[in-house]
Amino acid sequence: MDQSLIRNFCIIAHIDHGKSTLADRILEVTGAVRGHAQEQMLDTMDLERERGITIKMTAVRMNFTAKDGKTYQFNLIDTPGHVDFTYEVSRALYACEGALLVVDSTQGVEAQTIANASMAMNQNLAIIPVVNKMDLPHADLEMAKDEIENALMIDASEAIPCSAKSGMGITDILEAVVERIPPPTGDKEASLRALIFDSHFDTYQGAVAYVRVVDGEVKPGDKIRMMSTGKTFDVDEVGVFRPRLERGQALRTGEVGFITGAIKTIGDAAVGDTVTSAENSAVEPLPGYRKAKPMVFCGLYPTDSDQYADLREAIEKLQLNDSSLQFEPETSAALGFGFRCGFLGLLHMEIARERLEREFNLDLILTAPSVDYQVYMNDGSMLHISNPSELPSPNHIQRIEEPMVDATIMVPNDYVGAVMTLCQDRRGVYKKTEYPSQTRCLIYYSLPLGEILLDFFDKLKSSTRGYASLDYEFSGYQDSDLVKVDILLNGDQVDALSFIVNKQFAYYRGKAIVEQLRKVVPRQQYEVKIQAAIGSKIISADVIKPFRKNVIAKCYGGDVSRKRKLLEKQKKGKKRMKNIGSIEVPQEAFLSVLRVAE
Amino acid sequence: MSGPVAIYIHVPFCPSKCGYCDFNSFAMTGPIQGETVDAMEHEIRTSPHAGRPAKTIFFGGGTPTYLEASQLARLLQAVLDTHPAGAETEITTESNPGTVTLEKLGALRQAGFNRLSLGAQSFATQDLVQLGRVHGVAEIAEAVTAARQAGFENLNLDLMFGLPGQNLARWRNNLDQALALHPDHLSLYGLTIEPNTRFFRYFQRGWLDLPAEDTMVAMYEEAVARMTAAGLEPYEISNFARPGRRCQHNLAYWRAEEYIGYGPGAVGRIGTRRGTNLKHPARYVEAVRAGEPLWLEEEELSHDDLRLERIMLGIRIEEGLDLAAVPLSDTAIASVTEPGWATTEGDRLRLTPAGRHFASEVAVRLA
Repeated sequence: MDQSLIRNFCIIAHIDHGKSTLADRILEVTGAVRGHAQEQMLDTMDLERERGITIKMTAVRMNFTAKDGKTYQFNLIDTPGHVDFTYEVSRALYACEGALLVVDSTQGVEAQTIANASMAMNQNLAIIPVVNKMDLPHADLEMAKDEIENALMIDASEAIPCSAKSGMGITDILEAVVERIPPPTGDKEASLRALIFDSHFDTYQGAVAYVRVVDGEVKPGDKIRMMSTGKTFDVDEVGVFRPRLERGQALRTGEVGFITGAIKTIGDAAVGDTVTSAENSAVEPLPGYRKAKPMVFCGLYPTDSDQYADLREAIEKLQLNDSSLQFEPETSAALGFGFRCGFLGLLHMEIARERLEREFNLDLILTAPSVDYQVYMNDGSMLHISNPSELPSPNHIQRIEEPMVDATIMVPNDYVGAVMTLCQDRRGVYKKTEYPSQTRCLIYYSLPLGEILLDFFDKLKSSTRGYASLDYEFSGYQDSDLVKVDILLNGDQVDALSFIVNKQFAYYRGKAIVEQLRKVVPRQQYEVKIQAAIGSKIISADVIKPFRKNVIAKCYGGDVSRKRKLLEKQKKGKKRMKNIGSIEVPQEAFLSVLRVAE
Repeated sequence: MSGPVAIYIHVPFCPSKCGYCDFNSFAMTGPIQGETVDAMEHEIRTSPHAGRPAKTIFFGGGTPTYLEASQLARLLQAVLDTHPAGAETEITTESNPGTVTLEKLGALRQAGFNRLSLGAQSFATQDLVQLGRVHGVAEIAEAVTAARQAGFENLNLDLMFGLPGQNLARWRNNLDQALALHPDHLSLYGLTIEPNTRFFRYFQRGWLDLPAEDTMVAMYEEAVARMTAAGLEPYEISNFARPGRRCQHNLAYWRAEEYIGYGPGAVGRIGTRRGTNLKHPARYVEAVRAGEPLWLEEEELSHDDLRLERIMLGIRIEEGLDLAAVPLSDTAIASVTEPGWATTEGDRLRLTPAGRHFASEVAVRLA
C-alpha cells in the first residue's frame, strides 16, 4: 500500500458521548461490517459491554474510496475511556496521526475529553472536532463549538455535525479523515521500529501484540527483538482486524496490525515497547515507554481458605491478559493466605475482582484499597508501603510521603462551591479556575490520591447532580502527616481493616468506620466490641449486642417449605462471611473504609 | 409407602381476618361456604390416596368451627370413609372462642372429633382487640367449660407472646389464667410479623411497640418454667402437654413423616413431592367442579431439601433429631454442642433449654 493512502486515527470522547456508536457507523459505511448486526463492535469483552466503557482497545482496518476516487486504508484505533488507563491512551494516540474529537451536542466538553484532547495535541495529532447526537431535540451545535474553542483551544469552525445514531454526517467525517489527517511519515528503508500500543493473550497464539509500524516492515519468519527487555522472538503471523482477524504477508511502514510469535507472557509484549529486528536492530527505541505502574493496591483473599490455590491460578491466568495487574503473596492474621494486588485504579480493581469471581467462580474478599506510601525511616532507608498493616511503628519513622494527583474538574458554574467544598474536605490544594464557556468552568486541584480512592467520585457526582466530570494524573509524592488507624474486634487487631489516614481526619474516620462496621457486621452469639485505635490509644468504640434468639416460632405442615427456604438463605449468607476468630465478618465490612469519608 | 398417614383438612373461612394472620383464610360468608364444603367432600372422596389408613386427622384453618357442625361432621365422615381410622385415632379441630356453643361442641364430639384446639391467644382485652380477635376474655373460659361438658378430654389452648405493648407482667397473668383452665396442651407462639398482613404494614410505619428481644426470651423462659411446674411438659419448641396428650398429628410433621392435605390451600407431602392446593375458595370450587387439577404449586424435594427439613423439624422436638436417619459430621455436631445449644445421646441430637432460642442457627450449622 502506498504510504500516502494510509490514515491512522482514533476517537476521543467522554463516556456516553457516543464513541462506540460512531465507530460502529464508520465500520458500516466503509463496508467493514454489514448492518447493525453487532452493536458496538470494538468493545470485545462482555464485561466492557455491560459497563458501557472500553477497557481494551482494538485496531480495525477499513477501506474507504473517497471523492477523489482513490481508495484509502483506514486504521481506526480504539482508546480506553477511563482515567485508570491514561498511559494506554497515550500509546494509542502515538500510533495515530489524527483523532476525531467527539463532543455530545447536548452535554458539551467533559474533563476527560479535555485531558485526552490535550494529550493528542501535545503529540501533534490532527484533530477533527465532531459534534455528535445532533438528532436529539435539544442538540446545541453552537454551544458545543464554543466549548471546543474555549476549553480546548481548537478551531471549531470546521466541526462536523453528526448523528452516529441516524448516520448523519458520517461520510463527511470519513472525507475529513482523508483531507485533514496526514499520512504516516516513516522510513521504509530503515530498520524495523514498531510501537506496541496494546496486547492481549490468546491461549493458542500466546501474546498478541498490536503494533503501529513506524519504520521498516515486519513479516512472518522475521526475528524480532523487544527493545525494553532485549528478548527475541520469531514472528509466526502478522495481520489485521477487519474486524475479523485476517493474516497478511507483512505489516509495512505506517500500517497498523498484529504480530504473534510464541510470546509466552503478555509482559513480553508490553504496551509502549518498541519492536525491532533482531538482526538489524534500530539504535533508538520509540519514545515514551514506561512500565505499567499500579496506583491502587488491595489484598485479595478467598472467602474459603481452601480456594487459595484456585485464586492463585485465576490471578495468574488473568495476568496473562492484563500485564498491568501485579500481585504477590501476602498473609493476613485475619484473612489467612491471599495476595496483595496492584491496579491502575479503582475501576481496574473492580473489573479484576468481577472477572475473578465470575470467570473463575471464586468468592473473594477485597481489603480496602490503599495507595503506595513512601516511608522514610530514621535509619535513612525508604520503604514502599501499600498494605496499611505493614506500616512500621511511628517511632522508627522519620516522615511519610503520599502520592498526589493533579485533578481537573469540569462543572457547571452553579456547582463550583460544592466542588470546592468537597476538594477542600479531601485535603485538596486549589490551583486555578478556567472558564471555557459562559456556563461551565474548569477547576484545578492538587489532591492526595488516597482521598480519591474513597468515594470522591460518587460524592462529586452527587454534589453536582451528576454534572461534574473528573480527570486526574499522578503528579508526584508529598510529605503528609499520616497515621495508621487499627480496628479491633473483641480486643484483637484485624490487620485487614487497618488504614492509613491524615492525622486531622483520624478521629472522624475511626469513628465513622466503627459505626459502619456496627451496621454491616451481623449480631453474633457473643457480644462483639469494635474499636478504632491509633497505637494503643482507643479513639472510638462501639458494641454489637449478641443475638438472643434465632428461632422459628412455629412450624407445621403448611410452613415447612417456606421455613426451609428461610434457613437456606441464612446458610447462604453465612457462606459469604469470613470467620475472624469466632466472629463472622461479611465481605462488605472490609470495604467499610471506602464508605465513611464525608 | 402405604402405612397410616396424617390427614389435614383446611377450612379457609374466618369471621374476620386478624392483624397478624398470613394463613389461607377468608372472611367470606354466603353460599361459597356450602359450595366449598361440597367441593372438599368431593376432593376427599375421590382422593388418589383413598384406602390409606388415617394416622391422625386434623381440621385447621381459618376457623373450622365457623362452619356448621353438620358440615364439619359431613367432611369428617368423608375422611373416615376414605381413610379408615381406629377408635383411638386423634381427631382434632381448631376453633375459636365465640364460634362455639355447648350444643355445637356436643355435635362435634358426637361426630367423632376427640381433640379441640382453642385459639385463645390472650387473656388481656387490649391484646384481643389489637389482634383483631372476635372474642372477649370471658368467652375463652366459657368455651373451655362447654368443651369439657361436651366430652372433650383432650383440649389445647393457643397463646401468643411478644404482642405489641405486652410486658412480662401481662404475660405472666396470661399464663396464670390459661393454666387455671387446666388445658391438656398449650401452644405458645412468639408473634412473628409476616409479610402481607396488617401488622406488617403497621410495623413498617413504626406503629408497633414490640417487646425487645431480651423480653421475648424472658417471656419464653417464664412460660417454660410455669408450664413445667403445672405438669405440662415442653415436648416441642412451642408446645407443652400433659403426659399422653402430645399432639400426634403435629408430631408427624416434626418427624418429617408424610401427610395428605385436603381443601383450599392445604399442603401435603408424599415422598419427595409437596403440593399446595389452589388457595382461593372460588378457584378451588371451580377446579373441583371442572375436574381440573387442584394444585397451585408442586415442589419436587431434592435429597438436600429433605435433609434440611428433617434437621429443621427434628431438632424442634424433645425426642430430638434421629442421627441414624440424618448422618452429621463431627465438626457439624461440635458447632452446636460447643456453644451449649445441643447434646447428643446415642442416635439422638437434642436442643438444650438454651438451644431452643437458637433452633434456626443450629439447623443452619448442621445443614
